[in-house]
Order: sequence, then C-alpha cells, then structure tokens
Amino acid sequence: MDQRRTTGAQGEQIAVAHLEGLGWTVVDRNWRSGRLGELDVVALQPGPGRLGTLVFCEVKTRRGLGYGDPLEAITYKKLGRLQALAGQWLAAHELRCDRIRIDAIGILLTTGATPVINHLQGVTS
Amino acid sequence: MIVGKARSVALVGLEGTVIEIEAAIGGGLPRTVLVGLPDTSLNEARERCKAAVASTGLEWPKQLVTVNLTPATLPKTGSHYDLGITAAVLAAGGQVHIDLLEDTVLLGELGLDGRVRRCRGVLPALLAAVKSGYTRAVVAADQVSEARLVEGLTIWGVSTLAELVEVLKGNPVLDRLMPEPTPEAKREGPDLRDVVGHAEARWVLEVAAAGRHHLFLHGAPGVGKTMLAERLPSILPDLTPSQALEVTAIHSLVGANVAQGLIRRPPFAAPHHTASLVSLVGGGPKASQPGSFSLSHLGVLFLDEATEFPPSLIEALRTPLEAGSIHIGRSGAQVRYPARFQLILSSNPCPCGCYGVASRQCTCRPDVVRRYQSRISGPVLDRIDLHHHVRPLTKSLLKGQPQGEPSADVAARVAEARERQARRLAGTRWCTNGEVSGPWLRRQLPLPDGLGVVDDAVKQGRLSARGVDKVLRLSWTLADLAGVDLPTASHVRTALAMRRGEELGAVA
Repeated sequence: MDQRRTTGAQGEQIAVAHLEGLGWTVVDRNWRSGRLGELDVVALQPGPGRLGTLVFCEVKTRRGLGYGDPLEAITYKKLGRLQALAGQWLAAHELRCDRIRIDAIGILLTTGATPVINHLQGVTS
Repeated sequence: MIVGKARSVALVGLEGTVIEIEAAIGGGLPRTVLVGLPDTSLNEARERCKAAVASTGLEWPKQLVTVNLTPATLPKTGSHYDLGITAAVLAAGGQVHIDLLEDTVLLGELGLDGRVRRCRGVLPALLAAVKSGYTRAVVAADQVSEARLVEGLTIWGVSTLAELVEVLKGNPVLDRLMPEPTPEAKREGPDLRDVVGHAEARWVLEVAAAGRHHLFLHGAPGVGKTMLAERLPSILPDLTPSQALEVTAIHSLVGANVAQGLIRRPPFAAPHHTASLVSLVGGGPKASQPGSFSLSHLGVLFLDEATEFPPSLIEALRTPLEAGSIHIGRSGAQVRYPARFQLILSSNPCPCGCYGVASRQCTCRPDVVRRYQSRISGPVLDRIDLHHHVRPLTKSLLKGQPQGEPSADVAARVAEARERQARRLAGTRWCTNGEVSGPWLRRQLPLPDGLGVVDDAVKQGRLSARGVDKVLRLSWTLADLAGVDLPTASHVRTALAMRRGEELGAVA
C-alpha cells in the first residue's frame, strides 16, 4: 500500500514539474470530493483566450510495463468520473477561464533511467 | 493523424472483394477499435495482432488505434485479416514502409507467438485480387503452393510476423524450395480392376460415365452397389484446367489442403443419410461454407441407401439438378455455389433387403415395401436416366474368376465418347448427353433408326413421353461409345432395355 502511494505521489510530482515546464500554472492538487474520487492536478494553460484553459489532469504512474502502458489503466468509465469531478471543482471554486479540458498523463518510472512522460491532451471528446 | 493502409480480401461464397484496411493512430487513450462490420471472429483479431506484435519485439502504438475495413457496408468474417490489420497498424506507426503495401494483398491468421497460420479460401480470394488488378500477395508459408495456382501474382510466403516485416521493408525472405506440383493427374482411389464379375453393372457404369447420366443402383444388401458407385470417378475424364480451378477453389473454401496443386480428378462425395440439410446444401456463418452438393461439383455425388435419406434432403437435390448451382440466402449474404454433380443413388428393394431376391424370403409387409420404394420423389427420379438392378454373383468369388478390366482402359473409351459428344454439342450450353434437353434432342439431332420399338412401348403404355427422351439420350451415348455417328436400331433397343430398370423400380 505504502509503496503504491509513494509511486503515485512521485509520479504526480513529476507531472507537476512537467506542466510547469510547459509554462502552465498549477491551481490545485489532489482535490477530493467525497466518494467520487480525486482530481490529481488542476492547471491553467495560457491561451487561447485572455483567461486561458483550465486543464484537469489524471496522472497514472507505473514502475514497469508488465501490466501494460500506464495510460491503458485509465478507462472510459474513469474519464466519465473525471468529468463529473471537474464540474464539482468548478462549482466549488471561483475561477474564471475560457475553456476547460481533460488531459491524461502517463508516467513510466524505471530505476536508473529518466521517467517517460506521455501527455495526451483532450482525452474526452 | 497518421494513417496506414493494407489490403486483404473478403469472401462471400466464392466471390471475393478486395478490402482496404486503414489504421489511424492518435486521438485518445490507448485502445484499439475495429470498425467496418467485423464479426466476432474478426473482432478477436485485435487481441491476436497485439500479442503477435509484442512477441515479435515490435511495438503496438500506445494510443488510440482505429482500424477501419472498407467498404464498410460489407460484412466481414474470418481470421485472415490479421496480417493486413497488423501491417496497416505497423505502417501507421512508421515501422514498415507504406509503399510496398500499395498493391499487395495480405492473407493469413496470426498466432499469439507471431506465427502466421494458414487460412481458408486463399485460392478464390487471390483469384478475386488478380481480377481487381493486384499483382502481389503475401500468404502463410505453407500455402504458397496453393497461392501459386493463381496466375499473374508475385507470391511471398511468410511463416512469422518478423518475416512479414522483412518483406514489407523490402528484404524478401529467402524463397523456400517448394515441391513442384505433379504435372500428371494421378488416379487415386478404388479401381474397377477389383470388381469381379458384374459384367452388366460395369457396362452400365461405363455408359453412365460416358454420357454423364445420373444413375440409380438397386439391389439386395451386399451385392456390390457401393463398390461399383465408388469406382465411377476412376473412369471419368480429367477436369479441364478451368474446371480444375473452379473445383479447387470450392475445396479451398472448406480448408482442404490443396498444396498438391489443382484438383484435376473429378471429386467424389458420399454424405451419410443422417447428414444435415446445411451440410449438403451449404451454409454456416454468412453462408460461407459450401456443402456436399458443391464439394462434388463436376464430380460424383453418391447417396448410399438413398431411401434412408429424409425426403427434405432428397427434395433439396432438385434445384442443383435443374440449375447446376445453389443459391443460399442469409441476412447480409446472397451466395451462389456451383453444384453440377453426377448423381448416383443406391438403395435396397425393401427395409429387410430381400424383396424380389431369388432364394431369399422378404419379411416386410407389402405396404411397407411400396412405401419404401416411393420414398424418392418423382421429380428427382425424372432426372435419372439410368436405373440398374445389381444382381448377385452367380459364381463363387473363390473360383478363379478373371480380374476385371482396369479403370484406365474403360476411362479411355469414356474419354473418346465424351469427345464425340463435345463435337456434336459444340455451340450449345451442354457438353454431355445426360444434360441435353428433350426438345433439342428430338428436333435438332437426326432421329435414329429403329424407333419403332419405342413407338410400340409408348402405345402399350410402357414408356412415357419423358421416357422417350431418356431412351434417346441413352441411345446417343451408346452410339458415342460405339464410335458411330448415329444410333443404330440395336442401340435404341439396348437403351430401351436399360430403361427397364426404372419400370421395374426397386422390384427385381
């Protein structure tokens, strides 16, 4: 259990660094809403309008490919839940933006090598 | 979005359509979607292809992979799209060259370990590909000799996915040495030489072979009806090259191994009387399987113990006997299979088999005997020119009887008679006497001498109008066997005598 948490936290840390490297502003992390679940990272991407795009990121981290690619673990059911969570987050916060989007970030951690980041933008369409 | 394209063939019956397989990568979470009316067996291709790619050491794109099979409205079935799907996906991922896939048709099923497995219907599929202008094909390595039967194609055989990738990279694998198909059509199966005695029955068999007349053999159990019927193919002429291609294509559909080359000898099918209707007529998913009727196309269909067949199966004979083909309709598939076979029926005279047999006592009630004999309906009997009652041997087999004449000698006479028919019937849609229609027989051909006996038989009510046609057909065949240009009075008399079998029916 502990091992899994640290892997996840480690991955989210890498994801945040990756997003900030893109020039985005991280607005929130690990936001929970009751039993529905958790939003891993909420970030504000500059553009296309004045206020920018609010991006809800699901981060999935794995230590190997034995169980498949990290992104394969994000099911379409889970995406539906993310959409609901995003709505709740917007209701709970007073933040204005031009657009919203849901992204998925897969991170592969292999010991001794740089983490592989696979960032898919707009996975619900 | 990157798109890869490959081509394969969809078969509906013997008709093939070249299918374009498109694979697009990107646009969502990793997932593989197959669209374009795949059935269950084709939908499972995703899992096979993924596993095969992984075990070959290549990479399946970690993105949304959309595979589309066009034309999208044609229902597709079978496992032979695996190679095409994999090639399209690999091409979309930039792992193989796309240009080599341009005019190449791929046919083969993948194993989870990356092996390429044989699939059904390679021959008809490639015939369709050539017709659509394709010049190259990739098939499973052990189906190369079947694929080479199609002219005008460069064939590559691959035994693993890795070899396919090499081929598509432009490095063809070393051509494996394939045994050349034997040029001579070999006569296999039972030979007439083994038949002792039965001079009359042998003659009837020869006449049936020469004129391609359908034949009904009656007789007590154990007299040799089956033995005789099984030997009919051995005295039939070889199939012509175009016939051989047609027959081989049908057999390829049921997955028969045609690695030895074209089937050049007339096929023989002897379905059991418990066979299902679909197994005789054809059917299966989207009517993809030809039945016994089509598997005996241009060959012999033998229904042993014909009276034991349910009436529905016997009635199913009527359309192919009339049209020479079978149309099967299913939702989403209209299929025509050729089914021009020579029919042999055999039956006992009654359930106990002893009715009318000298020195044996029949234990059946008369009404049972009558019902037994009327189980083959009139419309089917109408199409049978020859009825023969096979008599028991009168001498012991043990006493040194001379060996029978070998099939090859009889076949030579049959071939000659067939040639005469082909010359006479040139320009018509028939090529043997057994197929010629009655009116044509009476009006377009000169009438033989000595038809007086036929007239008498009609006057006495022993011969029907249709019976006259049958006597004429048989007379012509007898004349062809004798090598004369017009049946003589004696041929007509013999033909009339041969017809007696029918009047007597199963009654000896």
